Amino acid sequence: MAIEVPVEHVLLVAAALFLLGLLGVLVRRNIIFLLMSLEVMMNSAGLAFIAAGAKWGAPDGQIMFMLILALAAAEVAVALGLVLQISRRFDTLDVDAASELNG
Amino acid sequence: MTLDLALFWIPAAVALVATGFVITRKNAAHALIYLVVSLLSVAVIFFVLGAPFAAALEVVIYAGAIVVLFLFVVMMLNLGNTSVMRESRWLRPGMWVGPAILVSILLITMVYVIVGLPDANVTKGEMVGPKAVGNELFRPYLLAVELAGFLLLAALIGAYHLGRRYLEQRREP
Amino acid sequence: MLDWFWLVPALPLAGFFALFVTEGKLPDRIVAAIGAGSIGLAALVALGAGMEFTQSGEASYSQTLWTWMAVGNFTPSITLYLDPLSLVMTGVITGVGFLIHLFATGYMWKDHQEPEGYSRFFAYMNLFVFAMLMLVLGDNLLVLFLGWEGVGLCSYLLIGFYHRDAENGYAARKAFVVTRVGDTLMAIGLFLLFRELATLDIQTALGDAAQLDPGMATAIGLLLLGGAVGKSAQVPLQTWLPDAMAGPTPVSALIHAATMVTAGVYLIARMKGIYDLAPVAQFAVAIVGLVTLLIASFTALTQTDIKRILAYSTMSQIGYMFMALGVGAWSAGIFHLMTHAFFKALLFLASGSVILALHHEQDIFKMGGLWRKLPVPFWSMAIGSGALVALPFITSGFFSKDAILLTAWDHENAGRWFWAGGVLAAFMTALYTTRMMVVAFFGETRTEPHDASRINMWGPLVVLAALSIGGGWMTFSVLDDLLGAISHIPHTHPAALVTVALPLAGILLGWLVFSGRLRVGALVESPFGDAVRRFWQSGWAFDWVYDRVFVRPFLWVARVNKRDVVDLLFRITAAVTRGFHHIGALTQTGRLRWYAANMAIGLIVVVLIVASV
Repeated sequence: MAIEVPVEHVLLVAAALFLLGLLGVLVRRNIIFLLMSLEVMMNSAGLAFIAAGAKWGAPDGQIMFMLILALAAAEVAVALGLVLQISRRFDTLDVDAASELNG
Repeated sequence: MTLDLALFWIPAAVALVATGFVITRKNAAHALIYLVVSLLSVAVIFFVLGAPFAAALEVVIYAGAIVVLFLFVVMMLNLGNTSVMRESRWLRPGMWVGPAILVSILLITMVYVIVGLPDANVTKGEMVGPKAVGNELFRPYLLAVELAGFLLLAALIGAYHLGRRYLEQRREP
Repeated sequence: MLDWFWLVPALPLAGFFALFVTEGKLPDRIVAAIGAGSIGLAALVALGAGMEFTQSGEASYSQTLWTWMAVGNFTPSITLYLDPLSLVMTGVITGVGFLIHLFATGYMWKDHQEPEGYSRFFAYMNLFVFAMLMLVLGDNLLVLFLGWEGVGLCSYLLIGFYHRDAENGYAARKAFVVTRVGDTLMAIGLFLLFRELATLDIQTALGDAAQLDPGMATAIGLLLLGGAVGKSAQVPLQTWLPDAMAGPTPVSALIHAATMVTAGVYLIARMKGIYDLAPVAQFAVAIVGLVTLLIASFTALTQTDIKRILAYSTMSQIGYMFMALGVGAWSAGIFHLMTHAFFKALLFLASGSVILALHHEQDIFKMGGLWRKLPVPFWSMAIGSGALVALPFITSGFFSKDAILLTAWDHENAGRWFWAGGVLAAFMTALYTTRMMVVAFFGETRTEPHDASRINMWGPLVVLAALSIGGGWMTFSVLDDLLGAISHIPHTHPAALVTVALPLAGILLGWLVFSGRLRVGALVESPFGDAVRRFWQSGWAFDWVYDRVFVRPFLWVARVNKRDVVDLLFRITAAVTRGFHHIGALTQTGRLRWYAANMAIGLIVVVLIVASV
């Protein structure tokens, strides 16, 4: 079923997804959208790995993707806990409200 | 060859469009649905590229578990119409200019780099099944698996701690 | 009894710990029993051990308790070393120390200045006796130095005993700092000795001393003299002793008259082997003694505070001891140390009784007419003064001072000058002592005394008075064997006659002047006389000179350097760092998206770099 695809095409798609995610991170103020954009970015990194694995027909790309998956799961768990805390403390989801670390 | 490429580009296009909706929707639940679409499209791409196991995991964990987690939080925070209005206030068109320029520059440089890659970089077109992945994963990458386990445990404890409702009150005395 | 000798320093230490850990919660009677009792028991043990030691006929006796530390070849041990010299010192410290402690149980009783301090006082005193015993009994210069610093600490604590008055704290600090100058010299001397001989064991070092280069021996001798000068309040480090009189009178008697200030004499006598090799250093000892002797005796003539008179008198008597050691009258010097401990302790304790009876009045011109009203202190003072001026043949002071002066006469090197200075000082001693006695005890009563002394106060006075008279009859052949014979000039020699006669003349003159029978008012009140009097009263202006030469320049430098010139370099560094910090802090907005945007810019740069490679 697998087909031969130029790696450049896959990488272009991955880059495009990544940059869309980055755009979301930069534009959105709502912390939940921000996290979704982050998920997109990580997913695009996974896509790049899969592409590299497919280039060589090796399973390493998929393993890297799994590790990214674990990382994303951990990140989302902690980040959503933080979202709950922020919404309780600042009574908003504006990420700029939590700027107490400014110099 | 062209047909084959269509197999790749159709889900890719869906993914890009869906992602575009993810970052522009004002309603969090709608955005999440588009996120699911995007993730499923990427899963299809994985399958097309010969990584069926990764495609399955993408569906099960990304589109399943993680998005469901988002959904729970969105429901807990009860983001209704007021939040949609607030989003419209926050998402003024002017906000897009700066980030868009930045991202465009990045896109151009990346395209330039990727297109400049040496020729004959074509994927092998072989299926690399779960057996091969498992063989590799639990032999040379065993340490990485352990580390991922640690990471998940730490995230579990952290999320448990952060998720408690009265965290701030408990600090008082 | 010799096997139990370790109890001698251990008992005062135990007394100190008992008083220290109970933090003054014990009743005063028990404190007195522990404080004086521990010294009394130590004195008894020392007496028994001393008798057994002299009967044994051995030259020395060592008792090693344990090894202090072992660093390579350097293994100093805690060893008690008993020989005639340290036996005399131990006897003085424990015997006179016990009498002074006994007196202090009465003197400090319900003391109105420091009612809570009874236990603290005896704790410090016991610690002092322990440290002093370690000083004289240590067979190792390291142990000696430990005791040396220990007595300095106790001296500091006890001078500042009435710490509610800032002046007393100042006097204590002055004593500590000034003696520290000497201690530093001494420490350098010990380092040199260790470098040259690779041992600090006194007997080994003295045995090996012949290997020393003569110049090195002189250097070591002079440095050790520096330590002795500081501790014994000799010129030029003498200025702390008069101010040290701020402590309670028993402290002055024990530390600043009988024992600690004689530690310098002990040190030099102990290191005799070094000074034998370094005639220059030994001559310096004699010079220091002579100068101190003269300066202090002239100063004492003009003081009005009875304790300061006695302090200057102590300085001059220790000057005699130094001169004795310097001219080679080793045993006479130690003999004078012993008799001086008796009569000066007596004088201090008697003056303490007077001061207590007059409600802490120390000015002799406010006393007067006390001889009928305070008989025991008066007769004690009289006997002590007699010993101080060396009344011929009946007082202990005569024998020791006579021996010193006649040995000085015989000394081949400027001996006549030493003798003349010593005799002049003896004359002055007689003069100021008579002045003190006449002004304080005769004439009209100026302050009504209130005698509250009991047996624990006049008892020690009687015993010390007996020792001041009888001490001279004690043979000092034990010392003779160790340190060399004293002079054998017969008492019919002209020099001997002058030595005897001058103090008597001084007493006569003093009596005539201070009882008003000889008018000298015009001389004293003339501008010249007044200037001389004020010069002497200030202790020959040493404090003034030190203030100008050391203290003020130091304060000036400190003031100039208050902003730390050297630190400027570091402050500039810190300021630059802080500036960069502020610039860096501007980027820290705390806004997540700002950071993300910056990361994106960074990413662009990285990708461009990668692409261009």
